[in-house]
Amino acid sequence: MIGRFLHSLNLLLLTLILVVVLIVSGLYFWLNQDLPQLPKNLQQINLSLPTEIYSSDGERIKILGERHPIVLEDISPFFTKAIIAVEDSRFYRHSGIDHRGLVRAFLTNIRQKRIAQGGSTITQQLSKNLFFSFERNWVRKIKELLIAFQLEATFNKDQILEAYCNQIYFGSGAYGVEEAAQVYFKKRAKDLTLLQAALLAGLPNSPNNANPFSHYERAMQRTKYVLNRMVSESLISVEENKAALKSNIDLANPRVESDPNLYFVDQVLEQLERDYGKEFVHFGGLKILTTLDTRYQEFAFKGARNHLEALENRLIKKRGAAPLQAALVAVENKSGAIRAMLGGRDYSYSQFNRAVSNNRLPGSSFKPFVYFTAMEELGYSPATVVMDEPMTIDIPGSEPWSPKNFDEEFAGNIILKKALMKSINIISAKLINEVGPEKVIRTARKFGIKSPLGKNLSLGLGTSGLSAYEVASAYSVIANLGIYNEPYLIQHIEDFQGNRLFEHYYQGVQQFLPDSLFPLLNMMQGVIQRGTGRIVRKMGFKHPSAGKTGTTNDFKDAWFNAFTKDISASVWVGFDNNESMKTKSGKGLTGASAAAPIWVHFMQKVLEGKNPVNFPVPEKIKFATVDVQTGYLAQEFSLETLQVAVKEDVDLSPPAVLSGEQEPDETGLLPDPVVIKKSENVVIPEKKNVVPNP
Amino acid sequence: MLIVLSAFLFLEFYTNLFEKSVGYYLKWQNHKRPQLGRMWERDRQSLVAQAKIKSIRSSLNLQRETALGITSFKHLFEGLSPGFPLIISREKFLQLYYDFPGQWSERIISSYDLVELDSRKNWDKVFLKRFGPWITLQFIDRQNIPLHELFLSIDTLYEVQATRTVKRGTLEDAEFPSNRIFPISEFLPVLKSLDATTQKAVFPEPRWFLGKNYHVTRVGVSDSPTGEPAQHVLFGIEYDTDYYTGVLLIPVAVGLANNMMSQVEKADLVGSNSDESPSSPGETP
Repeated sequence: MIGRFLHSLNLLLLTLILVVVLIVSGLYFWLNQDLPQLPKNLQQINLSLPTEIYSSDGERIKILGERHPIVLEDISPFFTKAIIAVEDSRFYRHSGIDHRGLVRAFLTNIRQKRIAQGGSTITQQLSKNLFFSFERNWVRKIKELLIAFQLEATFNKDQILEAYCNQIYFGSGAYGVEEAAQVYFKKRAKDLTLLQAALLAGLPNSPNNANPFSHYERAMQRTKYVLNRMVSESLISVEENKAALKSNIDLANPRVESDPNLYFVDQVLEQLERDYGKEFVHFGGLKILTTLDTRYQEFAFKGARNHLEALENRLIKKRGAAPLQAALVAVENKSGAIRAMLGGRDYSYSQFNRAVSNNRLPGSSFKPFVYFTAMEELGYSPATVVMDEPMTIDIPGSEPWSPKNFDEEFAGNIILKKALMKSINIISAKLINEVGPEKVIRTARKFGIKSPLGKNLSLGLGTSGLSAYEVASAYSVIANLGIYNEPYLIQHIEDFQGNRLFEHYYQGVQQFLPDSLFPLLNMMQGVIQRGTGRIVRKMGFKHPSAGKTGTTNDFKDAWFNAFTKDISASVWVGFDNNESMKTKSGKGLTGASAAAPIWVHFMQKVLEGKNPVNFPVPEKIKFATVDVQTGYLAQEFSLETLQVAVKEDVDLSPPAVLSGEQEPDETGLLPDPVVIKKSENVVIPEKKNVVPNP
Repeated sequence: MLIVLSAFLFLEFYTNLFEKSVGYYLKWQNHKRPQLGRMWERDRQSLVAQAKIKSIRSSLNLQRETALGITSFKHLFEGLSPGFPLIISREKFLQLYYDFPGQWSERIISSYDLVELDSRKNWDKVFLKRFGPWITLQFIDRQNIPLHELFLSIDTLYEVQATRTVKRGTLEDAEFPSNRIFPISEFLPVLKSLDATTQKAVFPEPRWFLGKNYHVTRVGVSDSPTGEPAQHVLFGIEYDTDYYTGVLLIPVAVGLANNMMSQVEKADLVGSNSDESPSSPGETP
């Protein structure tokens, strides 16, 4: 009877063994081609060099793929003991799988009716980290186990432990114990105290839930658990445990990705990935020298933050409303180098780069391009007189268009310079109607504007979206008196041996003649002196500068774009959801009140201690003081006068013969003061609608 | 069987026999398996990056070598096409500048302006680019910041192409008629008798030949082209180097060429007379 039973048991066992062997062999042959090859040594896995990004003032502003692999001797023994105690107490005794640990985990899980404990050894975890995805399935688990066996057969325990310590994720973006020690305690891994080592050892199991920065209590509970495990494994004494718990953890301040430089860094990375591919950037071990000046970036960040906070106190607050945002771009005129790029008020809140990717309506910021086109194409000058009056333009196939002025008042006859200074919509509408939107678009393209521009008359009032990056760059062409420098972010790139792989060369293109552009520049100086941008002077900014404000319908966007001889900066303020910026008193925020103060704060800091530099005046330019209503040289009885800069062949003297009652033609445009030759005293105007000199 | 199994379990429990067997088998088979997984992917990306870097470096080296191999301004400007700027070192620019057989280089930038530029001690390279009908030359420092910029019209390029060129071969190969070819010894007295401006117009700085070890042997004047009255004819200076014979071709105004020709022929005639027949009384040499 017993013999029969034993025989049956033998048969059963034999069958079982055969089945197990068959299953294992089958699994192996099934998975064989999916099993990865192991490297010759484990140090090789940390070989890829980090890519470093530097600012023009020498600051390292970003490191990509940073790893700090260290040898086991450079890791505090507290840590290695703690990680073994908590993750794999039989590490030095198994060959990849811990039978006892597995049984213990199995029983615990059965008892708790959930996966409460994992049975993975350190070798298995390393296997998973090196080769496999983090999805949980049995096939992946078997592969991971097989590779763990091979790791154990190929490398010794210390090599495996060292690789594990250098690979494992500790939360807060820290890979490897050295970086984790830096992130959490600002010290080297070899200098960790027992308590600190226990805290770190508790992290790989739950890097987010036990993160001391976000869940301090949980992290400390886990630390106590680790210390207790160390006591139970006789790795430390009870006294050491008690002493450790009484010691100070000395947690460092959390590393917050709120660095405003990161808006610029993102842009650099995007450009490089587009031009050279992701691998080149992230695995190339490059040194990238950018154009950013971190001091300027700091000025932009602080200027925007302070002013936005002040503005928000004045605005009507809506529950759950997103914060007021700002964007700023500063371009060095002579080169096109982007010196500052603020994509929003707080990178940790929103990484969306409003300076580049956010095309918002520029409003009156676009008017300089309309005025310039009119001056170039129609021969107008800053002294050309135009009638500011109610107007309606018939548009075939569409409703007639009746542009309105911001203050809904009309100035009557007014010279172009004054019209730009007051940012009169009617005049801009008349000019674009006269010259045609196609020519305005052509001009804007020559200024470097690349965004789509609507081929319609409302373009003259800035109804096609632009980014601060484009506007700053386009305005720098005016500051440069016609030279367009393609804006750029990267000065040069070196490989890890210091060989230059890319260098930026200045390739300025003279798009416009200086004497054509200077009158516009002078008009824009007027905007700051006595026009819509006069707040700049009120705030005490004394450097020669020129610019233009911009405010869109319902106060959704506020712009201020201006330049000195060396720097052009564009500032945008608004809400991401296009809400109106209305104050509690019912007033709306304009370019002058919302954006210009940020520009002033920024530029005052940038130019601190520097002498004012005047814009150079081209040879063929003359200055004259004219009557604002007639455009002719100012007389004693002129009611309002203004200094204009015009090309030297523009004659501003009043005609000797007046032609009686004259009306502007259907466009409302009146001709330039007549050009006369030096030898002639008088030229009778050919057009009938010259406004007589009072 | 039970005993065998028990023995196996005992061995497995105390020696990890199964794991070790599988581990060593996999180790033995390691080289046959593919490089898969996150780690190899990272390695592959690193290799892609290194390959890209290598390709950029070799392309830059090629550009550098091409720039180094430029032998003349003509060669330099011909190599310029829109969208493909060229960068040459300060040394190379100066070499080409002083290598040009004539005064044309001075029309790009005067040597005194170069001295002034050089006095700042930061002139490092020259960046050349072609844009529409213009060629821009930027004298830049190590940070690529332009120190001086000048523009040449493309017409200037044609001028340099037409001005002074060098050809391999003899004057005969360059289709100079044999009756208009003279030994250098016969030409030099005539050259010496010309005024300084004319001398420069027909003959480069002797340093150009001497510095390169070019031994001038003969000169020649080409025939005037038939048909329309020509403004210029070619004046050729033949020289021998250690390896080949070359000809420097210089366009010369027809009037000047005729004048030189007549003087050379006259000198030749005088020389012939003095050798073969005594001059008759009253004749001046």
